[in-house]
Amino acid sequence: MAKRKSIIKIKPRKYKVGDIVKVDFIVIHPMETGMRKDKKTGKIKPMHYINEVKFYFNDELFTTVLPWETVSTNPYFSINMKVTGPGVIKVVYKDNMGEVNEKTKKVKPKG
Amino acid sequence: MRRRSFLKGLSAVPALALLGNVQLLAEAKKAKPKSKNAISFKKALEVVTGGKGAKESDKVQLIVPEIAENGAVVPVKVNVDVPIEKVKSIHILTTKNSNARAADVFLTPRNGKAYFATRIKLSGTQNVVAVAVLKDGSAIMASKPVKVTIGGCG
Repeated sequence: MAKRKSIIKIKPRKYKVGDIVKVDFIVIHPMETGMRKDKKTGKIKPMHYINEVKFYFNDELFTTVLPWETVSTNPYFSINMKVTGPGVIKVVYKDNMGEVNEKTKKVKPKG
Repeated sequence: MRRRSFLKGLSAVPALALLGNVQLLAEAKKAKPKSKNAISFKKALEVVTGGKGAKESDKVQLIVPEIAENGAVVPVKVNVDVPIEKVKSIHILTTKNSNARAADVFLTPRNGKAYFATRIKLSGTQNVVAVAVLKDGSAIMASKPVKVTIGGCG
C-alpha cells in the first residue's frame, strides 16, 4: 500500500460550536484517465483514479463522494460540515486499483 | 517492356501507399482509446435522476469560469439553496467528455449546507451541469458553458 500525501483543511481556522465550516480535502494522486499515452514508451497508461471518498465525524459517516476519472490530477474536494462539538474528522479514500488510505484531523471549536 | 513494367510499378507505389495510409488511419481510429467508464451525457442524466429528468432552477448555483485556459484544471463550485434535510445528492456532469460523470456527492444533514467544490478536466468547450437530487425524488439542475482553449482529457 503506497502511502499517499493528503491534507485536510478546515476553513475558517477559528470556529465555534454550531458554525458551518468548510472541510477541504486534497490528495496527491495521478488520476489517470486510461486514455493518455506515455510519451516515452508509446503505451497507454492504465486507468488509475480515486473512486470513493468517505468523510466521517467521530466515526459517523456524513458525506460520500464518488469521483470519476474526470476529476483533475491531485484532486480537491470541498464540502460543508456543521460543528457540533470537539471530535475527529476521518477521511477514507479508495482508488480503482484497490489502494485504501485514510487521514484524520482534530476538530477543536473555541467558545 | 521494361519501361512499361517500370511505369506500372510506379503507379502501384502511390496506390499501395494510399492503402497503407487508409489502414493506418483506421488503426489510429481504433487505437483512440475509449474510457471504460464511457457514458453519454443523456444516459448519465437518466442514471442520476432515475429516468425522470431534471428541471432547470435558480436554486442551484453553479460557479465555473467562462473561459478556462487549461482544460486539465477547471474549478467547479455548486451551492444548492434548499434546506439540507431535503437534499439527497449533488452530481456534476459534463456534456462532451467521454465519461460524462465527474462526481457524485451524497449528503446528510450534518453538512449544514448543500455545497460542493472540486476541480475537473474538460476535453473541450462544453457545458458543465450540476444536478441536485432532492429527497422527494425530483431533481433540479443548472448548466453553464465553459470555453476551453487547451483540452485536458486524453
